This record gives sequence, C-alpha cells and structure tokens, in this order.
Amino acid sequence: MNSNELCRRSFLRAGLGGISGSLALNSLLSAQSLGSKGMVNPLHHAAKAKRVIFLYQAGGPSHLETFDYKPQLAKLDGKPMPESLTKGQQIAQLQGKELVCFGPQHKFARFGKNGEQLCELFPQIGSIVDELCIVRSMTTEQINHDPAHTIMNTGSIIPGRPSMGSWLLYGLGSEAENLPGFVVLVSDGKGGQMQPIAARQWSAGLLPSKFQGVKFNSIGDPVLYINNPPGVNAKLQEQSIHAVNAMNKIGYGTLKDPEILTRVAQYELAFKMQTSVPDLVDVSKEPKSVLDMYGAHPGDGSFASNCLLARKLAERGVRFIQLYHRDWDHHGGVKANMEFKAQETDRATAALIKDLKQRGMLDDTLVIWGGEFGRTPMSQGGDGRDHHIKGFTYLMAGGGIQRGISYGNTDDFGYAAQENVVTVHDFHATMLHVLGVDHKRLSVKFQGLDARLTGISGDVIKGILA
Amino acid sequence: MARKVPPMFVARIFLVLAVCAAALPAAPVSFNRDIRPIMSDTCFRCHGPDKSSRMANFRLDLRDEATKPLRDGKTPIVPGDPEHSEIIARIFATGARAMPPEFAHKTLTEAQKATVKQWVAEGAVYEGHWAYQPVRRPEPAAAAGSPIAGNPIDAFIEARLAREGLQFSPEADRRTLLRRASFDLTGLPPAPAEVVAFQNDKSPDAWVKVVDRLMASPHYAEKQAMHWLDAVRYADSAGFHGDNLWPAWPYRDYVLRAYRDNKPFDQFTREQLAGDLMPNPTVEQRTASAYNRMNRYSAEGGLQPKEYLAKYGADRVRTLSAAWLGSTMGCAECHDHKFDPFTSKDFYSMKAFFADIKETGLMPDRGADAWGAKLLLATPEQQARLDELTAKAEAARKELDDQAKQLLAKNPAFGGTADRSWQWQKPVAARAGAGSILKIYNTETVDSSVNGFERKRGDGLIVASGPIPDNDTYTVELRPRAGTWTALGLDLHSDETLPGNGLARGADRFVLTEVDAELGGKKIPLVLATANKTDVHVDAPAMAAIDGDPATGWSEGHMLALRFGAKVTTQADSVITVRLHQDSPIRRAVIGRFRLALSNAEFSWPFLGDTGKQSKARTDAEQAVLNVDVEHGVPFDVTEGFKVEPDKRTEKQQKAILDFFEFTTPAVQPLLIRAEQMAWERTRFFWTIPRVVTTEAVEPGITRILPRADWMNETTEIVQPAVPAFLGKVDTGGRRATRLDLANWLVSAQNPLTARAYVNRVWREFFGIGITKSLDDLGSQGEGPVHPELLDWLASEFVQPAYDAASAHAWDMKHLVRTIVLSKAYRQASTSTPALDEKDPDNRLVARQSRFRVDAEVVRDTALQVSGLLVDRFGGPPVKPAAPVGYLFAMNFPKRDYSESRGGDLYRRGVYTEWQRTFLHPALLNFDAPTREECAVNRTNSNTPLQALDLLNDPIFVEASRVFAQRALAANARNPIDEAFRLAEDRAPTPQERRILMGLYTESLKQFRADTKAAEALLSVGEAPRPKAVAPAELAALTAVTRAILNLHETITRN
Repeated sequence: MNSNELCRRSFLRAGLGGISGSLALNSLLSAQSLGSKGMVNPLHHAAKAKRVIFLYQAGGPSHLETFDYKPQLAKLDGKPMPESLTKGQQIAQLQGKELVCFGPQHKFARFGKNGEQLCELFPQIGSIVDELCIVRSMTTEQINHDPAHTIMNTGSIIPGRPSMGSWLLYGLGSEAENLPGFVVLVSDGKGGQMQPIAARQWSAGLLPSKFQGVKFNSIGDPVLYINNPPGVNAKLQEQSIHAVNAMNKIGYGTLKDPEILTRVAQYELAFKMQTSVPDLVDVSKEPKSVLDMYGAHPGDGSFASNCLLARKLAERGVRFIQLYHRDWDHHGGVKANMEFKAQETDRATAALIKDLKQRGMLDDTLVIWGGEFGRTPMSQGGDGRDHHIKGFTYLMAGGGIQRGISYGNTDDFGYAAQENVVTVHDFHATMLHVLGVDHKRLSVKFQGLDARLTGISGDVIKGILA
Repeated sequence: MARKVPPMFVARIFLVLAVCAAALPAAPVSFNRDIRPIMSDTCFRCHGPDKSSRMANFRLDLRDEATKPLRDGKTPIVPGDPEHSEIIARIFATGARAMPPEFAHKTLTEAQKATVKQWVAEGAVYEGHWAYQPVRRPEPAAAAGSPIAGNPIDAFIEARLAREGLQFSPEADRRTLLRRASFDLTGLPPAPAEVVAFQNDKSPDAWVKVVDRLMASPHYAEKQAMHWLDAVRYADSAGFHGDNLWPAWPYRDYVLRAYRDNKPFDQFTREQLAGDLMPNPTVEQRTASAYNRMNRYSAEGGLQPKEYLAKYGADRVRTLSAAWLGSTMGCAECHDHKFDPFTSKDFYSMKAFFADIKETGLMPDRGADAWGAKLLLATPEQQARLDELTAKAEAARKELDDQAKQLLAKNPAFGGTADRSWQWQKPVAARAGAGSILKIYNTETVDSSVNGFERKRGDGLIVASGPIPDNDTYTVELRPRAGTWTALGLDLHSDETLPGNGLARGADRFVLTEVDAELGGKKIPLVLATANKTDVHVDAPAMAAIDGDPATGWSEGHMLALRFGAKVTTQADSVITVRLHQDSPIRRAVIGRFRLALSNAEFSWPFLGDTGKQSKARTDAEQAVLNVDVEHGVPFDVTEGFKVEPDKRTEKQQKAILDFFEFTTPAVQPLLIRAEQMAWERTRFFWTIPRVVTTEAVEPGITRILPRADWMNETTEIVQPAVPAFLGKVDTGGRRATRLDLANWLVSAQNPLTARAYVNRVWREFFGIGITKSLDDLGSQGEGPVHPELLDWLASEFVQPAYDAASAHAWDMKHLVRTIVLSKAYRQASTSTPALDEKDPDNRLVARQSRFRVDAEVVRDTALQVSGLLVDRFGGPPVKPAAPVGYLFAMNFPKRDYSESRGGDLYRRGVYTEWQRTFLHPALLNFDAPTREECAVNRTNSNTPLQALDLLNDPIFVEASRVFAQRALAANARNPIDEAFRLAEDRAPTPQERRILMGLYTESLKQFRADTKAAEALLSVGEAPRPKAVAPAELAALTAVTRAILNLHETITRN
C-alpha cells in the first residue's frame, strides 16, 4: 500500500467516524520518516564511517596547553619572538604590540604506547591516546572568531554556504527516522570567555532548509516548539494534527498538488519528533555508571551531558552531531582557565570515545575535536594568548582514521605548521572521504558555479587514513 | 482594451514561423540557446574568460580565438568543418584525450555532442550572450489566427503556448482570484466581505478596481518591500560577532515609502547608492544612502581593520551585482569570472566606487560612537528643542568648569585618595513586589561564577531568583546602627548565570528606573547620582535613576552612588528602607545580584564597581574600562593623572581630575548638581529622536586589485572607479567617477541588465518562478529566459511605459506590477492536468497559475489578520514578537536573553520584526526568510517539520488561535466554526470539512470540560485580552479548532 493510499484511507476514516482519539497516528504514518536517501547514491567509494561527532571547541583552544608540546618555547619564555617568523603575518589583538615568547603554562606528560606528549591536565584523553590521531599541523585563513567559525564550518567566509553537516545530509541523507539528521548542541564553560556563535554555523545556506542543523537546547524547549502549548495534552495534539491532515487531504483530493502531501507528511513527522525528542534528551534514565563515566549531571546542559547525548543521537542514526563548547578564548589567564576547560572536557571527551568503542560504534563513527583556530606562542598581557591561525591541533578518532598516530607538526615555537600542513579544505576533504564521498563530486549549482564544501582546493590527508 | 493591428503584422507572422521552426530537431542550432549552456558548464572553466585557469592556451568563448590554429597546428573549431575541428575530435574521443577530462567530473550526453557537431557544421555562429544585448522592445506576436488584443503579456505567452500545443487555463474563480491578488499585492488574505463584494461586482472593470484598490493600500508597500529588503540585506543588527542592534529602520521605512508612493526606480536607485552625493541632498535622500551601510560590520576586538574594509567593500560589489545586475560578480573577487566577461579588474573597479564611504574596519557597536556616521532625523521642532537643551546643558557645564578650574588652579596640591568610606550593609529584610524571590546572604556563603566558580560569605549580597517578572520593585531594609550618613551605594554583582549582560535576569541589560529611600516614613531626598561608566548605554546614565520619570532608568556601569540632599542621622534601631524600582519598558531587565552601602564621608565616589571581582583577576585594562581604581577609591584616570606632573597629564586625565575635583569640592556642589541635571535633560531628549546609519563621503581610499582577494597585498595595480568594461563606461571627462555616476549608469540605456534583473524578480512574485529561474544569475551559467521576448518587453515597458500607460512614468514599479496582475496569464486557474504536468511540471510556460506557500512574514501576518490581532501601523522602529526563552543563548557581547515588545508591538506585521542577523526570529527562519547576512534575491520555499511545530506550538499562533476563536464567537455565536473557517478561507466548509472540524471540537470540549485547568492554561497563552463571559471549556475547544484552521495548507498557500 503506498502512502497516497494511506492518506486516502485515513481521510475516509476521519470523514466517516469523526476524529477518533484511539486512532494511532503512528500506525498510519509508518511510511513517513525523516530518514532519507542522499544525493551521493551510490557512494563514490566504500565508506569507513557513517556519521560524525564533531566536538567543536569554540573560542580557539591553545594547542600549547593541550596537545602540542614545545619545550623549546618554555626555554625562550620572556624572550622576543624571532621577527623572521612573525613578520608580515596576520595577528589579532597583538597588533602593534611587542611579541614575546610565552612558555607552556602547564606540564606535559607521556601517554599511550607511543609515549605521546600531552598536557597533564588531560589525563583521560591521555588514557585513550592510542585511539587518537593527533593532527598537529592544522591551519586556517581567518583570525577572528566569526569568520573563522564560518570557514571551519562551511569552507567559505561568505555567509550563505552550507555548513558541513548540511552537506553531509544532502550527500548522504539520514538514517534517523524521528530526528533531524544534523543536530547541534551548545554548552558554556566556567571561565566567562564565551564568544558568540551565529546560527549561520549550522545553516543549510544555499541548500534547501530541510538540510539545516537543528539546535537542541538545554534551556526551554529541547527543540524549538517541540512541546505542546499549555493545556494541550498529547491526545489533543494528535487529534489536532489528525484533523489538519484530514482537511489537507481533502484539499489534495481536489487539487492533486503534491506539496499538500508533503505538508501532511511534515505534520506527521513533527508529531513523531514531539514524542521522540523529549525522551531522547532526557539522560536521567542512563545508569549512574554511565553518567559518572561522562561526568554528566542530567539537565545541566554541560559539555559532558552533551557528549552523552551525542552518543544517544549517534545510536539513533543522526548523521552529523556537532557540539559547540565555548569559552576557549584565553586572551588572559590561560593557565587558570585551561584548568576549567580540562575539567569540563577531558573526562567527557574520553568517555565518549570509550563508550562508542564499547558499543562497537567507534569503527563507523568519526569523532573530531578542535576549534576555529589555535593560540599564539606569544604572550598577550603577560598571562594570555592571542588568536593564531598558522598552526594548531585537531584530534580525530574512529572510522577510517588511523589510531595511535600523530600527523604533522609545528616549529619549535609552536608557531607555524611545518610538516604535512593541513588546510581547512584538506580537513573537509578527508572527512568526506572517510564517509565515502569524493569532495570534488559533492556539489550543487549556485550562482553559476558548482559550489563545494572544499571550494576549489583541498586534498584528502592520505597519511592519516586507516 | 482593443489594440490596433500594427502594419507590420504580416511580416511578423513569418518571424513567428521561424521561431516555431527553431524548436524542431533538424532546425539550425542556436548558440545562445543550445551551445552556450553546454560550453559554459563543461568547457569555459578551463577554456573561458579566466586567464589564470586557462589550459592549453586557448579559449572557446570568443569565436576569433576558437577558430585560430593552436601551436600544435590543430584548430579547435573550423567553421563548417567538424571533421577538422579539434573540439569535435576531442568530445567524441575516449580515454585520456576525451574532453571534458575526467578530473572535471563533467560529461556530455550523446545528444549534446551531436548538437555541438551540428553547430560547427552549420558554421559555428556565435551570438553575444542574451542578457548583455541591448533591451529592445519586441512587439507581441499574435497567436495563430487571432488578432493581438489586450495585454501584450498574454500575446507573448499565448504565442509560445500555441507553439507547444497548449493554451491558457480558464480564469480562476473570483474567490481564488481575490485571495491570490490580496496575498501577492498586500501580503494579507482578504476579508470575506471583500470576496463577496468582488463576486457580486458584475461590472467589466471589477478586476481593475480590485487591483487598484489593493495597490493603493499601504499594505502593498509592506509586501513589495520585503524582497527588496532581502536583496539589499537590510537588517537591524550588524551581523558579525556581538551582532548588536543598530539604527537602520528609517532606511527600511524609506524603502516602504518608495513602494507606497511609487518612486521611479531610477530615482530609487540614485538615492540609495548616492543620496548623499545628490545636489543639496534632502533628509530623505540621505536616509536612502544608508543602503551603502547595510553590509555586515564587525566590532570584534583584535580584528585587522584592512581585512574587514576589504570584506565590506567586496560585500557591496556582490550586493550591487546581484540586486541591480542579476550577475555574480562576486566570482571575480579572486580571479576573472570563469563564465562571464567580468574581470577581476571589473570587480575592484566597481569596489572603488565605494571607497569614499566613511567607515572603519573595526566598527564600534556600542556607546556614543556606535556605527560611525549617523543621521539624526529630528523634526524642526525637535531640532529647536534639542538646540535649546544643548545650549543650557553646555552653559551649566561651563559655569561649573570655569569655577572649578579657578579653584583647582589655587589648589595645585589636590590629589591623593578619596575617602574609602562605604560601609556595606547587612540588610534585615528584602522583598520583591512582582514575583522575584530575594534572598539575603549576610554571614551565609553564596556561590558565584565570575571568571570561574567561587563560594564565599555573602557580606550583605542579595540574590534574586524564582520567576523573572517583566518589572519588579525590590524593597530592602537596612539597619545601619547609629550614625550620620551622606550617601547610599548600590553595587551590582555580575555573574555568569545572569543572561542580561551578566547583571540582569533577562534582556541584555538591567534598567533601574527609580530609587527611593526613606527613614522613619520620611523620604530621603537624593540629589546626585553618579556611576562608574562603561560607555555602553550612554543613553542611560545614573541621573536617570533619580529623575522621577519611571520611563527612564540607569543602565550604565556597575556601581551607583546616590548622594543625600542632607545628612541623615540614624539611631541604634533605625531602619532605612530602600526601593529599587525597575519599571522599564524592556522586559525582564531586572537586577540579579546586588549589595547596598551607606557612606558617612562628605563625598563618596562609586569606586567599587564589581566587588565580586575586585580582589582578583582585575587587570589594568578592565579597571580602565570600568573607570575604577579599586585600591584608591577613585576613577582610574585620576590615579594615573596624579602620577604625573600637572602639565604632563593627558587630556583624558585632566578631564578626570577636573571631574573628580568638582565631585569633591563643596563650593561647586550646587553647580555640579545643576550641570548633571541639565546634561541628563538634554541626553534624555536627544535619545528620543530617531537616527539612522548613513553614508558620509570622504576622500576616497586607494583600491587595488587583490589577486585571490589577498587583502595584505600592497603591490598590485591601483584601479579607479569604473563599470564592467564589456558593458561600456562612465564618461566623466577625466573626473573620478562617483557613486552617483554609477547609479546613473545602472539606470541608463547603456546597461541592459538592471531592468531585466528587476522585472524577472517581480515576475517571480506573481508566478512563483522567474522567466529565467536563476534570479541571481543572468550570465551564461544561468538559465536562458523561457519567454525571452516577454522578458525584454517587460524590461522595456518598465523603463519606458507605452502600454496602457496614461498615468505611468519611466521606471514605474507600480505600472509594471499592475500590467502583470491585469494580464490574463495572471488570472488563470492554477489547477493542472496530468498532461500539462507531464509536459511542463514546473509551470515554466505559464499555461496555468502557480501555487506556493506564502512568505515567512505573511504566514505570521495571515494568522494575525484572520484572528483580528494584527496591529496595523505603517513603519517605525523594529518590533520584537515573543520568542523562546534562551533563544539568544549562544550570543555574547553582551550576553543577552530575548525581551519581547509590549502591547500592540507584539502584533505587528512580520516585515517589522527585528531582523537579528545571527539569530533571526525562529518564525521567520523556519519559513525561509533569509538572515540578510548576505544579499539574497531568491527565497527558497521549503516544507519542513519545523514549520509544522512552529505553526502548531509557537505561542503567537496559539494566542492568535484563541483570539481567532473569540472573534468567530463574537461574530456568530451559533455557528462559530463555520464563521472561523470563512474568516480564514473566504468560503464555507464542505460538509466533510465541517464534520472533521466538528469532530475536533466535540473531542476537545469533552476533554476541556473534564479538565478546566487545561482550558485555562491554553487560554492564558498571550497577552491579548479575553472576554470573561465565555465559558473556558467552550472557548478552549473552539481554540483547538481555530488552531487547526490556522495550520491548514490552504490557509498559508497562495493559489
């Protein structure tokens, strides 16, 4: 029985018997779902990963207090930066200031079988370092937060390009039936250096808006307008939607406009989301051991809770899950603030990877950890670091990526990526590659051009592929 | 109107036949129709205009080049000889020699290959790209057998339909027609009575009358302006980073008036691009020039000004190019355009026109200097009053300063520190009047998070929690023991948990509208209010808290010192009662955490600022911003000034020291108080006058060609303002061309693009899709027009009206719309047939009308109109309909929460909704309104579950449903369901439909009768009044029905 037939039947029943509260909407609607096939069908090549969890550390984490060990910089602490490195290079708040080396503010220690040097504030991540690929040669083009976020998400600085999650939905579709295929979560830190993040970062841009990221909120409705109005219970909501759809189907009977059937389907999906989302975002039913593993407290909206939620979303087939954790903009007090950030992210990040692994999902999930840029090896105001685009660190783990390796490096100052320099477009190309997509062939016509996530450049980073 | 058959009628028949023949398969190939699209998509990237990516050193876009032999002796195209044309060999080749090559990811179909071959065989005739040819006025051809009569639009379309074996659909019924025209022209559905009147109007010009009535309504402008505002990316916020609000709405109102008053489009163009450069520019023209300032601006600290000036300039070229030229010049920012003849030099030459705009890369977004050049829109009366208040304020200040300077000169030793005499009180009681819960932490510990978490003794801290009321009054009782007091201090504590800039429980600021204090039932007069300053809310200084005006308040700074009019003496058990009134029109701008202090010193400076942070992590820079030197109890600049010899002090330090001297010198106190009062009087009035960001011309900066848009490059060629070279040039006799020259060229006969781009977009408004669907690209990668003659005729008619043009003028926007809407093509039914769907699924040929969901704003407007909630007011400052709590959570600088408007402003049309670029209102975003961060000339029209959730559950639609139910009941108590249906759909429900709605009503009524609390809850959504007489269960059940009606596809679809 096709869906038209279903529509007709339900309309008939509604027409004859009025609205019946017992009429189970779901049984009628099984043909509809948010899941969809993508444009890349079949895939360009075999996929290693099916989905992405991007732990986006917004504000620009210092690579020098996290995963890029620079003993030489420590020795030069307080000395002027060599002008040969910095001359003619972009700089943000340090414009016109004296540039002085600023050694790492926390100790590093060795972790894992390769003895990777990581900041000792991140022992939990250290404990899973053998699962990670540490890319120490990441670069970007934009030195201020807003455009840097925009290029990291969309590959372009001009608003209106689809974000990477939208590209993935467009290209790969979604397996999530009652959930959006691209979900965004935002959490704040304790340091009070929360840079704003525009909704543009998860916009579908020039793609149809059904590909946009849907932000789940920890304040108010978990998804905007997901809750019924006051006084309207689930039964009345179901009856109301049923009445709307029955009326719309009458309209379809006259006009035969397929857009009406689409509208009917969207109302059915909306109702499904209403029943599934509140249950999904409630992590309080998770076993205490799991909550403890992540360090999550139900309802706190923390990065830890969001990591746990990310796992649940991944289990339900969401294609692209992006967590923004803010407050990494350490122009001042990098030493003290990094302790907050470590408390907030270390355990949860490691827990997510361990949890995915124990559920057998790490093999086909790509987990990414990183921000819009790194921070200067030069001090700002004596205790902070400015924005830095010439070299910083990303972590990757899971499907399609080698485990227990590091890739690329920066110079002795931690200033410029030296070996195996990775651009934003390279990073995007690689992400698409492990998902079975050739970045050069995922395009859409826009203003006469074949718009792509990777613009006109980008090479897959072969050296990190499993 | 019957038209005379033109003398050349017979000749044109042959023309028609020739065009018809072109559609046949064996017919000659046309370059523009058949070849250019193929080559543009598959060849030009490497063999086109862009020299930087050209391969094998030849190009195919120019015939002369394509027919020249290459170095290897082969010739790409030998006209008439496909066998010896290399391109034919290569497109039919396989393997490594095949074109396009594998890396291009492009393939040619066999049919395309055959077409190219045929074209070469036929002589490889090139044609200039259609859009770049001059607009000629084609005369309409008659459909076979019938003379040309009436609207030429119909003649063009019918001729084409006839060739396709199609004909117009019958005229739509009158209800559909009126709904269509009302939605299209005014963005509002018609009232049922209007439909009935139209149905009953049997006069031959009934339709003309309806169209003219709708077009005369101000609602016409509110609808038509929407998409122009998309194109010029009008918004109420700056778009980058903090995305703060700016005064742009007078420009939006200018656009509204232009549509309402039918301003000629050429004048509209000149005023927007160059209103400031016109001779003796009027306020209207200078307001229009705000167009040049509608790009996004950044105020992010640490940005590189040159980089952002480059971004702003490039944005302007992209916008101009899309809005006026229908072209994608943005491609040429990095390199020559790959498909169209725009060079990189063209891009930067265009950018050079805007090099005279006064602006800074880092655009201040708060304080007195926010947004650079602004135009005060004072009426003559306002200006006179402002001048008077300014003169008085300046005189009072001068009198004070003169006297203080004399005294200071006699007292060169003035210096040292102030008396740090604030005594922090441990309140004995604190309560709130409107729902907040106030808790006092005296010896108890309290958690706070400012730059990290800490827990320490409260020492008199009062913390508000619980519900967050729109307004509140905090009453605090102090028992200071015996003493003599001179001032009251209020110290606001910031905390990360407070969304309102860290200080207020909501909104983006706190507003303390009035403070009063009393002792033993007697008011303590407060004569001077002083705050440390942040230069953020310069319109809300400390004096606003003691001016007796509940509409104004203090928002500026963290610490407030309130001087008593006379010393106040307390006994051991005296109680001083302090009331903090927070009655701002800004909702939830209520204080989160504060302490109170009393001082017994003669003069007490508000030195403590944010005491939560005072002892740590307070950098010099932060102290400077807060103007607080914690250690010495004086303004920071004072301490700094004291450190150097008087004659070495900076101007700022001198000013600070003078201020501080005035604050602490008994002899000048009456003068100081008067000067502060006068200054506030003037400030208060000044901020009631509207203003708009505007364009001010300065000496033009240097514009260089920036290869790959590298803004750091300072070595490349400098360009002068010029229009794209292939489109001609602006002759100025050697003078540097200006924005006015550019505007004149845009609307000159030399430029064939403006009129074509504009009429194509207008066509889309009335048929759902453009004559070429690529509204943003009339270039070679865009789609050729489906009705090319019609497009050119409309362009010509727009520029120089000649059809039914008695009262029309050149560039007549209303004439264009009227001509379209009066056409038979427009009046067709939208219903299709399987055969037509098969042949023309997207309705490109216009053998019927289209159906599409109304725009985001109109979804809202419709619900408001149908329910009767709509507050109909033309223009004015942006309004904030209710939005979800926490919606602005991811924003910062300042931290903020949404604070919706009050009263009627909650129910204004969508076009007036505050356009917050980085977080556009969800009801707009969900229904595809663009964020206007970037020029947008083509809205998508999607259909998503988020739209369903919005229409079902968004409080505004729930409230509208309730008021809609009230309206239906009031109009027809016996049959409110039919009444409601008719109000929304302008027709009676069918029996089937009625049964469904009745079923929903019966079910709902049963439930609401069983649970009247639920009924009350539903009816309590929103602030619109509700009649007490109606039983809650009945009204709630009817609300369930009206809610369903507002959700119907039919309700939000223009048919």
